[in-house]
Parts: sequence; C-alpha cells; structure tokens
Amino acid sequence: MQASEETPTTTDDETGSDFDGAEFLLTDERFQDFQTSLYENMPDWLVNLFFYGNSFGDMMARNFLQTLLFAFAGWALASYMEHRHNKKMNIREADLEDVIITSARRASPDMTEAMMITGSVVVCHDFFRTLFIKLRQIIGGNIIHYERLLTRGRREAFIRMQEEAKLRGFKKIINVRFGSSHISGRFLPAIELTAYGTAVK
Amino acid sequence: MIITNIESVPGRIINQELGLVQGSTVRGKHIGRDIGAWFRGIIGGEIKGYSELLIEGRDQALERMEKDAKAKGADAVVNVRITTASVTGGAAELMAYGTAVKLAPVSDQE
Repeated sequence: MQASEETPTTTDDETGSDFDGAEFLLTDERFQDFQTSLYENMPDWLVNLFFYGNSFGDMMARNFLQTLLFAFAGWALASYMEHRHNKKMNIREADLEDVIITSARRASPDMTEAMMITGSVVVCHDFFRTLFIKLRQIIGGNIIHYERLLTRGRREAFIRMQEEAKLRGFKKIINVRFGSSHISGRFLPAIELTAYGTAVK
Repeated sequence: MIITNIESVPGRIINQELGLVQGSTVRGKHIGRDIGAWFRGIIGGEIKGYSELLIEGRDQALERMEKDAKAKGADAVVNVRITTASVTGGAAELMAYGTAVKLAPVSDQE
C-alpha cells in the first residue's frame, strides 16, 4: 500500500477508473496466505511425498521417491522424443532415395569429381535407462536399449552424411565406413557415431 | 586439394606417392556446454555441444593433414582414415591420416 501512496496517481485521474494496482500486489501476508492455502489444498499423497517427516529415514524415502519420479519423467520424455526422431528420419530418408551408396573400394572410370564427406552424432542415454541398464548387466545378455540407441544414432549419422553429399551436388557415395567411439564428457559418458565416405559425380 | 577415402582419385591418374601425412587435434568445450550436456543426460538423445565439438575437431584435423600434404607438394590425399579417442572428461582427440599423392595434369590424360 505504501508504494501506491508514493507514486503519483495522475493516470487514475486521466482515465477516471477506480483501478488500484496495489490490490493485486503480492505482499508478505498475501504470500503466506497463498502458501498455507497451497498446502491445505494439496492432495495428501503429494504433501507426504515432499513435506512429510524430518527423520533421516523419511528423508531417504523422500529422496528415493523424488529420484524415481524424476527418472520416470525423463524416461517418458525420452520415449516420446525417440518416437518423434524416428518419424522425422523416415521423412528425411524418403528425400534421399536418389543418393546411391556402396561400400565398393574402387572408383569406376566414368566418375569425375571426388570429395570426402562425413556425418557424425554424439548420443547418450537418459538417466532412467542408465539405471535400468546397470541392473540388467547383473544378468547379462542383450541390452536392447543400447542397441536401439546406437541404431538410431548411426542412422542419424548416415542421413547427415547423405544430406551433405546432396547439398554439394553429389549423387553417389562410395567406400562408406562406419565408426563408433566412446567419448567421456566431463559429467557423463557419451557415444560418438560416424559415417564417412567418398562422394563422387 | 582433393581428399578421398578410396585408393584413387576418380577421373585422374596418380603420378607419384609422397608418403603418409597426418593431422591431429585435441579439443574441448567450455564448462557451460558440459553442464548443458549433463542436463541433456536426464532426457537422453543427441548432445549437440559434443556433436559440434567433434565436427570442429574433425575439420581441424583434416585441415592440418592438408597443410602437411601441401608442404610435401601433394595435389591430393587418398585413403584417408579418421579416428576419435577420448582423452579426458569433455575432451576428444581427432586424428586424420592418409597417403599424399601427386596427380598427372588433366591435359596429359587425353
């Protein structure tokens, strides 16, 4: 209320409205009211999840649940993005049907111009799947999540290589090679996937 | 300069082989990119910062290889291979190597 008294109220006089901006300001009292109403209206399970208890055990349980929630949210988002990425790549691949790719090592005599082109991508797993894979490794066997990630990444690198060739006016790529290497980022491990070859005309 | 990863240069005749040339680089990104990558690790997928890092590194390695080849008086580099190695957290070494060759002038071929 103090703020409104200090500021000149010329605008009110000009417009002739009864609007008092101070009514909508979030003062300390109002904020406390807002907070208490928030806690009161929250469902019990949500209150228990975030605010219940002060003992060490409670804290651990809370942290565990929060981590799980966090991981599930990441997993859901990652699944959605994987789906979307695959869809996008289908469209991009349809555009690149006229680029011919071989792994032949020799160039035929009718080829004139040559240039080396590369496509690469660095990918990593989401937090939830990393946890899941750690558990899966106890049993061993096929780690399907990694298979899917690497296949998707390699496809992306391959498409990028083709797109670059097309951009530069080449219609054929020979001697295509794939490579993958482990990149240790400062805070997380990641995998690099590359595809490279010689584009010819 | 012509760079290929096959054993010849299409449409040209190789006159002389000048030996192995190579170029390498070790590159890293600033800490902001690393923090961004960590956040990316929650959802997974492509890490754009590191993709960029490797593209820059590869270009630089190829550039250095070309410089090496030019110093030898080469026209082209054939049979090029690229390798990546992780040196330490957030840094990668990229190396490109190939055979530098001297080509016959275009007029001689006909």
